[in-house]
Amino acid sequence: MSIASRQVSARLAAGESILRMSEAEAEVVEGVIDPEDETMIMNMGPQHPSTHGVLRILLELNGENVLRSKPIIGYLHTGMEKTAESLTYVQGATNVTRMDYASPLFNELAFSLAVEELLGIEIPERATWIRMMMTELNRMASHLLFLASNGMDLGAVGMMLYGWKEREEILRFFETVTGLRMNHNYIRPGGVAADLPDGWEDGVARILVALPKRLEEFDTLMTGQPIWRDRTQGVGLITTPEAVALGATGPILRSTGAAWDLRRDQPYLAYDQVDFDVVVGTYGDTFDRYAIRLNEIRESMRIVEQCLEMMPTGDYRTQDPKVTPPPRARIDESMEALIHHFKIFTEGFHVPEGEAYAAVESPRGELGCYIVSDGSPKPLRMHIRAPSFVNLQTVPHMLTGGMIADAVAIISSVDPIMGEVDR
Amino acid sequence: MGYLNGFKVTFARLFEDRVTTEFPAEKRPKPVRFHGRHVLNRHEDGMEKCIGCELCAGVCPAKCIHVRGADNPLDDPVSPGERYGFVYEINYLRCIHCDMCVEACPTEAITESKILEFSFTNRDDAIYTKQELVVDDEGRPRHQPWELWMEGEDEHLSGWMRATAPSGAAAFEGRVGWSGDLGHGVRPPEEGQTAADEFEGAEETEAAT
Amino acid sequence: MLGDPLFRNGVDWGDFAVMGVKVVVAFVLLLVATMFMVWFERKFIADMQNRIGPNVAGPWGILQTFADGVKFFFKEDLRPANADPLVFRLAPYISAVTAFLAFSIVPIGGVFRDGEADTGTVTLFGKVTYLQVADPPIGILLLLAVSSIAVYGVMLAGWSSGSKYPLLGSVRASAQAISYEAALGMSVVAVVLLAGSLSTHDITAGQAGGVRTWYVLSAGIVPFVIFLIAATAELNRPPFDLVEAEQELVGGFHTEYSSIRFALFFLAEFMNVVTMSAIMVTLFFGGPAGPVLFGMTWFWPTVWFFAKVLVFLAMFIWFRATLPRLRYDQLMNLGWKVLIPLALGWLLVRATILQVDEGTIDPVIAIIVGILAAGACFLLFTAALTAGDRAYERDQALQEQALQEQALQERAVQDQALQERAVQEQAVQEREGSR
Repeated sequence: MSIASRQVSARLAAGESILRMSEAEAEVVEGVIDPEDETMIMNMGPQHPSTHGVLRILLELNGENVLRSKPIIGYLHTGMEKTAESLTYVQGATNVTRMDYASPLFNELAFSLAVEELLGIEIPERATWIRMMMTELNRMASHLLFLASNGMDLGAVGMMLYGWKEREEILRFFETVTGLRMNHNYIRPGGVAADLPDGWEDGVARILVALPKRLEEFDTLMTGQPIWRDRTQGVGLITTPEAVALGATGPILRSTGAAWDLRRDQPYLAYDQVDFDVVVGTYGDTFDRYAIRLNEIRESMRIVEQCLEMMPTGDYRTQDPKVTPPPRARIDESMEALIHHFKIFTEGFHVPEGEAYAAVESPRGELGCYIVSDGSPKPLRMHIRAPSFVNLQTVPHMLTGGMIADAVAIISSVDPIMGEVDR
Repeated sequence: MGYLNGFKVTFARLFEDRVTTEFPAEKRPKPVRFHGRHVLNRHEDGMEKCIGCELCAGVCPAKCIHVRGADNPLDDPVSPGERYGFVYEINYLRCIHCDMCVEACPTEAITESKILEFSFTNRDDAIYTKQELVVDDEGRPRHQPWELWMEGEDEHLSGWMRATAPSGAAAFEGRVGWSGDLGHGVRPPEEGQTAADEFEGAEETEAAT
Repeated sequence: MLGDPLFRNGVDWGDFAVMGVKVVVAFVLLLVATMFMVWFERKFIADMQNRIGPNVAGPWGILQTFADGVKFFFKEDLRPANADPLVFRLAPYISAVTAFLAFSIVPIGGVFRDGEADTGTVTLFGKVTYLQVADPPIGILLLLAVSSIAVYGVMLAGWSSGSKYPLLGSVRASAQAISYEAALGMSVVAVVLLAGSLSTHDITAGQAGGVRTWYVLSAGIVPFVIFLIAATAELNRPPFDLVEAEQELVGGFHTEYSSIRFALFFLAEFMNVVTMSAIMVTLFFGGPAGPVLFGMTWFWPTVWFFAKVLVFLAMFIWFRATLPRLRYDQLMNLGWKVLIPLALGWLLVRATILQVDEGTIDPVIAIIVGILAAGACFLLFTAALTAGDRAYERDQALQEQALQEQALQERAVQDQALQERAVQEQAVQEREGSR
């Protein structure tokens, strides 16, 4: 027995886990581990139809039953937090918007709120309401995407296209406003990039009119379907203390009965002026998480309706000349304006030294942006508290004791976006 | 019977309209503000608008634009003023269509078209040079062999630029702050935003009192 | 009862020719029907999802399956290093051959008249024969036997792939097939009871007297419903497609297959759908029965037959478009605790009704005995289930206990390690202190 394998067996005997071992070491380990042990180790992912991208889950199976599991991440690591350090605050929104690609506007919002906190500027009321309306629409789009992928994961193939179809309507509206379907670069520090276009009320109204009928169809197809209920109810249970201990937020926390929603508990934007309910579950199972998301679409529609009625007029970007470039009509008139224009687009604006944390309630939970500034036009450090990343911690807990089919349902109900997990 | 209700839903869908388009044969309409591939505009007299200031290259978060300016030849100037864009290249393997360059350009030289259906098969084609980007003598983008065009897509080049022009000031919305384009003249501002109109009126009355 | 008239007066070369023609026609017909089914499924489900579906190859994309088949032929045939070479290669053929075999007993035409001794025949090359490849006296049993063999194809494919997902798929396949085969067989017995024969030709002939005599009605609706559910499970169609559940097992048993071997599985699967629909039409919906509207008498029954089959094909697709997939344990529960007892019970009820109709038993006695028997069965069944549940709970408790003990042991080991480390650190500190 070599020294290395002796070490391995010693470590195993001490209850430690080993990441990698050679064949010789494995032979030793076979002596340590019970030979009657008939469990199977299975890799679910990183290429697997239902791990939502490149999530890899290591499952220890006894037949179909999951004994232990371990999510492994990092397959989509793109170093966005580091990239943020080399982009000015003006360019920053183009970077953060790519993290949670299913709800890009929330990333931009969290980033902008943090920068604005550092700058100490007020943004115009119209910008606030535009932001609120757009992010709520984005929440609807994101939840529709969830309904689609959740249905697909549980074998209801029709749901996939039904969900995508409705989401597409919202993305089309986004396209008329921002010019892009995803990764908009629309919400910027200081306001929004452009005013709502002519006829935006009709675009929003069309969505609000068409969606309730569809949601009822989803209710018939899934909520009322006994097979669906059998598949989701009582699966992937988690309690409030467990969810809190694991740091879970969003629908996962709310499914346990804890009514924690940043929009209500730490109002940002103008959420204290609109009327909406926080949807909570009771059992903390997969069905509750599904039902919460379905009903949050309805709540978001209520908020959007109020935005439609109460949308104020005025500027849509702060008129602080330090942050916002001058209007185009002024560039030709004034040399100072032109110089200023150049400065903002090349150097960017300086942000006072300090640090700030801003959190928003993204469709997946608390999405926070933490920025440390050294007074230069680029962040010294940016960190994103990504809800998908934190929520993923609940997966091993929820998977234990279920079957493979349950594992699929549970991963789907956590709704992780790997771009955000790995950043 | 909960088991059977769903069948009604799927059956009813049989009689709804198709939502997919048969893509290579038809394309869905693009909104005014759509971000497509770039074009380099020219003044109404045919001169290029680009002055080689490299602001677009500076602001580009993906670092996909390469610009080099040069002094205008005195006998045959390319652009009005002192300098012009001598080299202008955009690498579409990097471009993220964020439109920062359009916002940054002080002369509205670079704008984005509605064309996004291009599939080049080598890296040389991916880098659009100045000859490919500058509009032709009628003010239309040049059709590259690997681009799929539909009728009317070469118009409305700069809707997004017009939308972003006021820089958030409601008072400047709808006010033309840009020069004319070759073949198109001075483009009108984007369709009036209802709320902005109201606001501008309010400010004028305020100024009168 | 008499068998195919073709063979009644000895066998000559003409009979061989007729048989040959029938085999070839059945083969081609099934192949074309399968290709149509694949296209029809894609097109129909696309309609239900507001999509267009295949539309490039041929008019309305009808040649899409053909194009896919050609593509499969030219793909590389891969075999994983761990796979069992012989079995891995054999499995697709088992699936495909059995899929073809099952169709041979289905009568696809012929005018059936009620009460006639030798009905449902056509004349081919001057030979009077049935419009089906074979009419063995054990017809339906052959179907059950062949469909059981088909499971071997799936099971061996998964097992021989030397890979984990296919293995799980094949385990699921064998369990599922065994459970649902029983229910399938039980529901067929009710039909056999009424027809008095296992031969598919006789079963069809027994339903020639109009819609009223179709076994879907005269056997009561229950056997048909059970057969439909069990057949869907037997075919691995949604909502019972656990064997190849893409979202769970990637591709299930055929994950490791590529090229033409994969195509064979694919073909076999859809062929089985067509065959099972045809069997359902034969058993419960009168087979080719239907009015002869005008002109060619031999032509209309075939049209009716395929029209009925088409309805079932659409139904299978509709299932897929609507229902979510069941979980493995739910599938087993449905099979063993619902379908099999129901099929058995209904068989008894139907048999009793038959006897009462014939006047062998007094109805009052039948009802009393029936109620008593039902009560006894119910009690036994509940007792069995509770006993099972209790055993399961006991096992769970034991397992949990073992887990807890293990955790305690682990903690003890950890504590010990911590203590040791503390002692070591203390020793180090002391040593440093002494320096």
